[in-house]
Amino acid sequence: MEEAGAARAGLGFTLSVPFPSPLEAQIAHGSLAPDPEPRKGGISKELTVTENFLHVCWKADEARILRVSISSFLDHLSLVIQTMEMFGPPVPR
Amino acid sequence: MPAVTVLGLEGSANKVGAGLVRDGRVLSNPRRTFVPAPGQGFLPGQTARHHRGCVLAVLREALQEAGLEPADVDCVAYTKGPGMGAPLVTVAVVARTLAQLWNKPLLGVNHCVGHIEMGRLITGAQNPTVLYVSGGNTQVIAYSERRYRIFGETIDIAVGNCLDRFARVLKISNDPSPGYNIEQMAKKGQKLVELPYTVKGMDVSFSGILSHIEEVAHKMLASGECTPEDLCFSLQETLFAMLVEITERAMAHCGSQEALVVGGVGCNMRLQEMMRIMCAERGAKLFATDERFCIDNGAMIAQAGWEMFRTGQVTQLEDSWITQSAVWWGTPPDRGRAQQAPAQAAHGTQASESPWQHRRGQLSVRRR
Repeated sequence: MEEAGAARAGLGFTLSVPFPSPLEAQIAHGSLAPDPEPRKGGISKELTVTENFLHVCWKADEARILRVSISSFLDHLSLVIQTMEMFGPPVPR
Repeated sequence: MPAVTVLGLEGSANKVGAGLVRDGRVLSNPRRTFVPAPGQGFLPGQTARHHRGCVLAVLREALQEAGLEPADVDCVAYTKGPGMGAPLVTVAVVARTLAQLWNKPLLGVNHCVGHIEMGRLITGAQNPTVLYVSGGNTQVIAYSERRYRIFGETIDIAVGNCLDRFARVLKISNDPSPGYNIEQMAKKGQKLVELPYTVKGMDVSFSGILSHIEEVAHKMLASGECTPEDLCFSLQETLFAMLVEITERAMAHCGSQEALVVGGVGCNMRLQEMMRIMCAERGAKLFATDERFCIDNGAMIAQAGWEMFRTGQVTQLEDSWITQSAVWWGTPPDRGRAQQAPAQAAHGTQASESPWQHRRGQLSVRRR
């Protein structure tokens, strides 16, 4: 979900996270994309997948808002990866 | 029809739980609680951090206790809302990952419906008037025409929130929960201190009694007018009498012969006793569960998820976002019949109806 207002943003940050396979990158996307940013304005992020990479692209008005969002994302990403390590690999489709 | 095993994950407040339920049988239901220091409440960030740290261990425990492997799980249910944002996201993220890893359906459950469905399952109550009381919720609910309807509720804070914040005033321990410790102290109370009593028709209000007791507690204790135990006793008696009154009002409106208490505050034996007395006076029966199911737990989410799944409802990933409020989408499970749901429902949401419907009772029973 994209937030309105971040088009005015002055700051950006991009993260590309490698996964062992394209499927696992898509799973991470499926887990991390659905929830909107808790903060209604001043920050937006977009998640995409290319091959085995999950890309996250942030736009924000202020540095501290950007920092909070990235930090929160990394916590959730870490949890997804731990879940995959404990209960993966994905069952064959 | 083959047995369906559902994994339920719950973490909307300070409890994180994982439960496995197969066709109405609870196979396992472990839980961990984040307990803040006395005088403090729990904040979203620290609560989410606690859940992140132990949700996978609790999940492993649930599987081990049930003697199941991941392959035995047919679907993954989790709390979609209501609750606190950060903790909800933590658990939702794990649920989505598991559902995708295992290639099984995902079920986004309403936390309140979880309490009610588990209460019905455990107690066998057929069509009760439900008093749902916890740290985050205080509602009187009845099921009518495919929907849970709220007959009465708090107009400000939940009764459990009132109790928890009073505990902070006296720095009562939060271990295992502030409400439990207030209940133990109340048993030793000797004196009934008069406190504001605020029932408004079908509804209740607790912020007034809370601010009153916050203001007078230290003065009364310092002057020796009463003991902390007296305050605990007086607060419980007043709060619970209000709850009994609005429940009775709803029961009178519905002509109900059954009452069911769910939610963490429902563990309180004094509340159960007062409710039982009121029910007996009406020739009705009271149903209640013990702390395993009153307090937030994973199995109740699994059970509500099972009910959803049976009627063909699943949650698509793009619709699986968490929400802090209870009103969002979809209809609750049509109870009693596992019927074929329309194709739209099988693909998840987009329904414009809410599972919650406010309907004010037309009959107002005046007491006192």
